[in-house]
Amino acid sequence: MCWPTCRRFVRHVEADLQVRLQGGLKTALYTSALYMLALVAPAAAQSVDPTALLKPPADSWLTYHGDYSGRHHSPLRQITPDNVGQLALAWAFQTGQTQQIKATPLVANGVIYLTTPDNIWAVDARNGRQLWRYAYPMNDGFHIGHRGAAVYKDSVFLTTPDAHLIALDARDGTVKWDVVIADAKKGFWSTNAPLLIRNHLIVGVSGDFDNLPGILRSFDPETGKAQWTFYSTPPPDTPGSVSGGATGGQMWMTGTYDPELNLLFVGTGNPTPVLNGEVRPGDNRWTCSIVALNPDTGTLAWGFQASPHDTHDWDASEVPVLVDAEFGGAPRKLLLQASRNGYYFVLDRTTGKNLLTAPFATVNWASGVDEAGRPTPNPAKEPSRDGRLVAPDEAGGTNYRSPSFDPATGLLLVSAHDAYGIYFFKKEHGKYGWAGADYTVYGRGVLRALDYKTGQVRWSHDLHGGAGAAGVLTTAAGVTFTGDSANSALALRTSDGSTLWHSGIGRVGNSPITYELDGRQYVLMGGGSALFAFALPSPQ
Amino acid sequence: MRVLQLAAFLLLASVTAVAAQGRGQASPASVRPAPAAAGQSFSREQIDTGRTRFAAQCGFCHGRDAAGGEGGTDLTRSALVGTDTRGDKIRPFLRSGRPDKGMPAFSLPDADVTAIVAFIHDQRDQAAAATGGRRAVDLADLQTGNADAGRRYFDTACARCHSATGDLKGVATRYEGLPLLQRMLFPGSGGRGAGPSPKPPDVRVTLRDGQIVTGTLAYRDEFTISITDSNGWRRSWPAAQVTYTVDDRLQAHVEQLGKYTDGDMHDVLAYLQTLR
Repeated sequence: MCWPTCRRFVRHVEADLQVRLQGGLKTALYTSALYMLALVAPAAAQSVDPTALLKPPADSWLTYHGDYSGRHHSPLRQITPDNVGQLALAWAFQTGQTQQIKATPLVANGVIYLTTPDNIWAVDARNGRQLWRYAYPMNDGFHIGHRGAAVYKDSVFLTTPDAHLIALDARDGTVKWDVVIADAKKGFWSTNAPLLIRNHLIVGVSGDFDNLPGILRSFDPETGKAQWTFYSTPPPDTPGSVSGGATGGQMWMTGTYDPELNLLFVGTGNPTPVLNGEVRPGDNRWTCSIVALNPDTGTLAWGFQASPHDTHDWDASEVPVLVDAEFGGAPRKLLLQASRNGYYFVLDRTTGKNLLTAPFATVNWASGVDEAGRPTPNPAKEPSRDGRLVAPDEAGGTNYRSPSFDPATGLLLVSAHDAYGIYFFKKEHGKYGWAGADYTVYGRGVLRALDYKTGQVRWSHDLHGGAGAAGVLTTAAGVTFTGDSANSALALRTSDGSTLWHSGIGRVGNSPITYELDGRQYVLMGGGSALFAFALPSPQ
Repeated sequence: MRVLQLAAFLLLASVTAVAAQGRGQASPASVRPAPAAAGQSFSREQIDTGRTRFAAQCGFCHGRDAAGGEGGTDLTRSALVGTDTRGDKIRPFLRSGRPDKGMPAFSLPDADVTAIVAFIHDQRDQAAAATGGRRAVDLADLQTGNADAGRRYFDTACARCHSATGDLKGVATRYEGLPLLQRMLFPGSGGRGAGPSPKPPDVRVTLRDGQIVTGTLAYRDEFTISITDSNGWRRSWPAAQVTYTVDDRLQAHVEQLGKYTDGDMHDVLAYLQTLR
């Protein structure tokens, strides 16, 4: 019965010993290092300096979004629309798991860090060979998916299904420390790829099946010591609550960051109980919102609610993409989000003021858009005893997969989903957790290229399946990498969406990334439970 | 056989359903789950272990209580679970999954699978004994429509492909409640509880040499067209090297989804319920 706990205790002891041993070793090495400074200088570069995240080098993908902006765009130009047709397999890494790869890999120091629930692998970025693997002990948290890792100096961080945060030695995968983010027994779990901002490791959790406050926490990446907790919804029965009795609003996706404003932007999840809106009147702030926080303190600078009083599970967790570009005739600091509720939003990220609200997928749930730019939910489309036909369905107009912003064309590329669901709620469904029932009736995945200024669709590319599958990567050379909902990895021309290359590697479940090593540009995509690296034919 | 193939999908589907599931005349959905087959008792310890393993591996989609969650079906009302004996159906299903429907394959230790099977059966027994299951949509919930209004709507919107005296004759004896509503909105949605998927569309492929090949759609993406020919063989071509037409009659259902009001939807359901 105590099996998982006992295992973890053993792990703790092992980790503790390892940290002590390494500490002793480091002291011993330090002396000799003084005499060998010239030789060990390259080794010092193996440590990931947090300031590198401000301007990520071309040989790396240092954080979930690649950089702080969330544009999921690379400046690399070796692979072009003209030569992408020659793209070939460089190597493949088999996880040997049945779990589909949903995580965005990281690349640092020539090493790829790839995650699935309970697992992290370090893989040689040049040849796909496993360097080490860490498997977290069996536990009872939800094993639904995992978004990815984070790196800092010589540490790599993994969140777990039972809502722990673990620091591993990036060299060999040994545990440095293991702290609890939130209580898994209450229903929290974590799939989150943490976001590192200076000395703050910012970590989110999930928890839709229980009425839990929405929490985002910051930890010291050196020690694991907790620094602050932001509540998107307060613990139940908190006096003066702005949530109208709602819990939820979990921040399970990785945020973005503007160093000039020193603001962290995070999308918050749906309220709980999920489908029962009767017991939580009002807008239910700050659920289904984009919130701007001070990363040093976790204090709220502003919030914008994408779905006031949501009753359809449409969190606003999707990536808040930061773009500095012209809007309304003046250069502005913008925040773009294609949200799960089917609407595209443009905000001024300094103030949170809404500049544009426009649907990008099939929607029928709003009666209009209010003065603040928020869609107004039509009460007739709330879940009911006899059912309501609602677009989009629960999976939403888009979901967690990364969109990509291409600066050259001004396009935001979104894995969109036109879908209908039927939504039910009756009092007998109660007021805890899901509290209702909903069923997808129909869905179709399509990649849409939105003009960032207007939200108008410049082109669409059918994904040949019922749901959006892959995230999107654009490069400065004008190539878009993604996957369809059928069987293929795709390279498209960013300007018009036409297909330039494809490879039937199985359904791509993650967001493609790219990096350049030894003068060769690699594109990584997960197909099923394997990770594929594509590159132009090697000159050798 | 040719005539049958041309018959509308609902009729054919129901025939297939009965044949495939061996459940006699009644639709799977209209039958309360039968009590567990003999020899299905599991130890409390197995069930408890299964509860935690189920929550970890399956709970997100199917709900911690197996009665449905985000995207996954209510397993306490699942046809597959209903015909399972001590994992003989669930075990292979878990191993292979149904990736095309979003159900991943699982390679779990044998003891875990046994525990999960025990838990699912226990939940199913409890759901069968309970009234007004937590997330259940009951037949009585869906009786808000007006059958006359539904008939008028049907005559305008649906009668181009369907007939109350033809393909839909007696449809209400084959499906009722939520499965009927799901099937009405989009045949094939609703999983096994709403009956089998409709017959695939007819495809006509013209090869480069002018030869014409016909069959039913087996697979299609941007790069491949694949059919099942009249002998049951799969044939595939690179989509760019042939021309083809797909008679996808379900597209009319997709378009209708954008036209229904909620009132229309319930009216048409009320009308279909009169077709006994």
